[in-house]
Amino acid sequence: MKISHSWLKEYIRFSLSPPQLAARLSMLGLEVERYENSGAKYEKFVVGHVLERSKHPHADRLSVCRVDVGAEVLQIVCGAPNVAAGQKVAVGLPGATVPRDQHDPQGRPFVLQRTAIRGVESQGMICSEYELDLGDDRDGILILDEKAKVGRKLADHLGLNDVQYEVEITANRGDWLSHIGVAREMQVLTGRRAALPKIRLKESRITTASQAKVHILDPKRCRRYAARVVRGIRVGPSPIWLQNRLSAIGIRSINNVVDITNYVMMETGQPVHAFDYDQLAGRTIRVRCADEGETFVTLDGKQRILRSDILMICDAEKHVAIAGVMGGANSEISAETTNVLIESANFEPSNIRRTSKYLGMSTDASQRFERGVDIEMAPYAADRVAQLLMEIAGGEVLKGVIDFYPRKLKQAIITLRPSRANELLGTRISDQQMVRFLRRLNLRLTKRSKNLLEFEVPTYRLDLEEEIDLIEELARVYGYNNIETETRTTIEFSKPIVTRTVHDEIRTYLSGAGFQEILGFSLIPPPKVDFPSIRAVEVLNPVTSEAAVLRTSLLHSALPVAKHNWAHGERDLRLYEIGTVFSRRNGSNGDKDEELESYAEEERLLILLSGRTAKPQFNAGSREVDLFDLKGEIEALLSKFNLDKYRFISYDSATALIESALAVEINGTYAGLLGKLAKSVAERFDIEDEVFVSELNLELIEQAHQREKKYRALPRFPSVKRDLAFVVDSSISHERIESAIRAAGEGFISELLLFDLYVGEQVGPGKKSLAYALKFQPYEKTMTDAEADALVKKIVRAVEEGCGARLRSE
Amino acid sequence: MNALLEKSDQIQREFDEALAQANDRDELERVRIRFLSRHGLVAQLFEQLKEIPSEEKPSVGKALNILKARTLERFHEKKRTLERPPGDVGKEVDLTLPGRPRPIGTRHPITQTIDEIRQIFASMGFSIAYGPEIESDYYNFEALNFPPDHPARDMQDTFFLSKGKKVLLRTHTSPVQIRTMERQRPPVREIMPGRVYRNEAVSARSLVSFHQIEGLYVDRGVTFSELKGTLVAFAHQFYGKDVQYRFRPTFFPFTEPSADMHISCFLCKGKGCRMCKYGGWLEILGAGMVHPHVFKYVGYDPEKYSGFAFGMGIERIASLRYGVDDIRMFYENDVRFLRQF
Repeated sequence: MKISHSWLKEYIRFSLSPPQLAARLSMLGLEVERYENSGAKYEKFVVGHVLERSKHPHADRLSVCRVDVGAEVLQIVCGAPNVAAGQKVAVGLPGATVPRDQHDPQGRPFVLQRTAIRGVESQGMICSEYELDLGDDRDGILILDEKAKVGRKLADHLGLNDVQYEVEITANRGDWLSHIGVAREMQVLTGRRAALPKIRLKESRITTASQAKVHILDPKRCRRYAARVVRGIRVGPSPIWLQNRLSAIGIRSINNVVDITNYVMMETGQPVHAFDYDQLAGRTIRVRCADEGETFVTLDGKQRILRSDILMICDAEKHVAIAGVMGGANSEISAETTNVLIESANFEPSNIRRTSKYLGMSTDASQRFERGVDIEMAPYAADRVAQLLMEIAGGEVLKGVIDFYPRKLKQAIITLRPSRANELLGTRISDQQMVRFLRRLNLRLTKRSKNLLEFEVPTYRLDLEEEIDLIEELARVYGYNNIETETRTTIEFSKPIVTRTVHDEIRTYLSGAGFQEILGFSLIPPPKVDFPSIRAVEVLNPVTSEAAVLRTSLLHSALPVAKHNWAHGERDLRLYEIGTVFSRRNGSNGDKDEELESYAEEERLLILLSGRTAKPQFNAGSREVDLFDLKGEIEALLSKFNLDKYRFISYDSATALIESALAVEINGTYAGLLGKLAKSVAERFDIEDEVFVSELNLELIEQAHQREKKYRALPRFPSVKRDLAFVVDSSISHERIESAIRAAGEGFISELLLFDLYVGEQVGPGKKSLAYALKFQPYEKTMTDAEADALVKKIVRAVEEGCGARLRSE
Repeated sequence: MNALLEKSDQIQREFDEALAQANDRDELERVRIRFLSRHGLVAQLFEQLKEIPSEEKPSVGKALNILKARTLERFHEKKRTLERPPGDVGKEVDLTLPGRPRPIGTRHPITQTIDEIRQIFASMGFSIAYGPEIESDYYNFEALNFPPDHPARDMQDTFFLSKGKKVLLRTHTSPVQIRTMERQRPPVREIMPGRVYRNEAVSARSLVSFHQIEGLYVDRGVTFSELKGTLVAFAHQFYGKDVQYRFRPTFFPFTEPSADMHISCFLCKGKGCRMCKYGGWLEILGAGMVHPHVFKYVGYDPEKYSGFAFGMGIERIASLRYGVDDIRMFYENDVRFLRQF
């Protein structure tokens, strides 16, 4: 919202400069985002007097003028048809930036220079309203009033020298949405009182009550309704001062009646509406809710479909406005309007908010009503509009205000315990000071006892309800930065301080192992493929279809990352992400949508490998990564965190996403998959390279992770190494042979390494040879050669019998 | 002198000579078998060690060990020379050749920033806590004192997951405050990082999802003054000792009094630059004293306990700190970008 510096001066005396005021309001919590001087852009424009006008020697439509600009007399070539000697005009001097170029379709600004136009020198420019960005008239130059002082700065003459503050209003302070509201806050800064102008009305003998009726059928939603009637007005353009006031804060001037209602709203914070009195059937206002599905055309010409909880302003026959939001086209002020009914009402905030949300209409009025408007302001605002209509549009104000106000607001009384305030803030503010501080906010001390201060809250401060609210006000006035900073070092040791999680350890480990951590978006486009039997969670109101569904797998966000990197020449990827995936729980259907329990979240770890193992360098091996690189990484990771309580299971029913997959089991529970990304999926992501991925349930890793470590005695006897090579049918898996060896090894096998795998002529078709290096580790005593040989024999027999193997002779 | 030692010296000499004459792998293998195999000359010496008087054993044993180590070392050195690639002709090794590369990984800059902030608060006794990203209206709004139909709800544009708007994506990490207080009695001292979601147009300065870190401290007698002290201590640790700071009133439904904390712009030292929008100050976090209504929701007695809470946006902090102009970079995950951290 915009606040004008000169406008504020109507309500409070102050000498703060714009930068001072901006800084000090901000420190009170009324944030000034920026401020600017609206007159600054007219720096090089002055009032000129056309002394003489003659025809341009080479162009029929142009004239050459001699213009007195105070300091000198300039020769200016002008193309406007309405220029004439004797006029007072707006002159742009060389170097001025003309806000809008009449000859540019987009009306961009340009810098004025001395120039020759068709051979005649032009030393400046006489400007139109359009060029000065003061209006849309571009048919001729702007003619100033005759009394304008020649040579005076144009901005001074037009009263444009003003500073506007762009302020950010917090949701609790609806009272700041007006100039009087900001002026009241300035009482804290200046110590002076802010006040609204006194109303001076000349009322006619005819009473308002005799000419209009107001019936409130819904006093819960309409808490107060003040109305006045002004007759015999002339609708027309507003005077310059009013236009300037509104344009300074970004409101377009419409006509004098509408401008006055806007002015009063920006002055008092009370939204006011003017109806064309003669369009109101039965000269009656009825306030009630709409019927479901009725339609209504608002001022902006749009048809609205109503709901039964939308409060409407009606006459005897029809709707004429959506209460607190917008008036109707059927009763709006037109050029022919002569009589108006002024509405200054107070509506229940949450109803206005629901209406505004439902209709998608946020207006100056609705924004104020939904934050809460001072209920005591209604009659004043009606009077104020009447007074201004009388002064500006020449109306006759009927006698008296119709004021429907059945349940008078009880002013809030709040008790403050000074000791409590000091305890909470860490301050030592005296009772006297507290009273003084709060008085600056118009909080009146009503009672005082030993440890209690009782205050009456002004009616516009709807945010002040209880003691804590007053404590905040005290802190604001005292100054947050005047409160001391203090630290206590009372660390609480009664509960364990948990600062490191298994996540941290995994990150440290993987980044150390050369993996790059990524963070993917959890909101993704609807996935093209997915794991079967998983129901994704969808967002009901996405901003874009690119972020409409919650990921069910980290793959959904990681694959685009891989693709992005390939597109930028980075093929050799070692990536990981720790992130959350989401799904609907099984069996949860429509009727459980509103229950948190029907949505599931799971933390996962994703590892992705692609490209080569390393960049090819003369002394290092480099090859394309394969499944076993990934499997090795997973094995290393799981060994580190799970102490061998995991296993891999061939996963026959390959999922839609991953082929040649292995399932990972941790402590007997399925924990995820690893494998090669299915070709069909890769294609959908425009991925040509082979990608190896693994996605594991982090919670299972966390549960299995052993934090407590226990020392096991190191072996005191030497180990014995033996190599064994077996020839088996190619269908026999390594896993089977390994378990046969381990089973027969009587717990002596401390290391088992498959160091050679051979398929070919030497073993014959349908066969393969697997060579193992075994290490026997005795714990009780030294293992003799004979004992080792016996153990080998036993192992060989077990593998021969269990796997149909034969020992490969050297 | 012990005969065994003499023998050892002799074997040493013979070994050196044989090794010098070995010019290919086969010859080298023969040297290995003769001297270093299981029944080679060196092993035989060790066998003979059993037969000498026990008082001599330690010194002779030590000499034999040295022999074994030296011969092995020289053998391997020779082996490496013979196996050197053909291009490498000279005896001198070119030490400027590159080492064998190892892949380098880093943690994501957002994670790094969170970790650093966490560590500072951990040193002040804060524990870590997490909460779900799919939240209920109750935890995200109601228990945080956002009344229904209140304009305060517009402060955070929300993604809804259910038609009745009861289930949503959390808009801030503050619901973890409620969950934490429901779980335990005071004193509470927790730091709560995580992802949050806002239904806003994506731009260089805003994302539909980003990270926040929340802090909560509740105990008897916690003051606003202490809130300031704690956050100033944090700012000095994180942004440097010279940083200036200020607190400004603001509004959050779940704290009162509420404050924004600003620090002097560390890029221009407060002189004014593009990053601080020429104001010389950067807003780094929001904070405040826990609102008594919030205490009532979690069953704490506001007369007995007080506390403060604070929250900050990680992407903003990280982008200021690292000078990243477009926060979308953090989620593009370009490895050339990530490797810089």
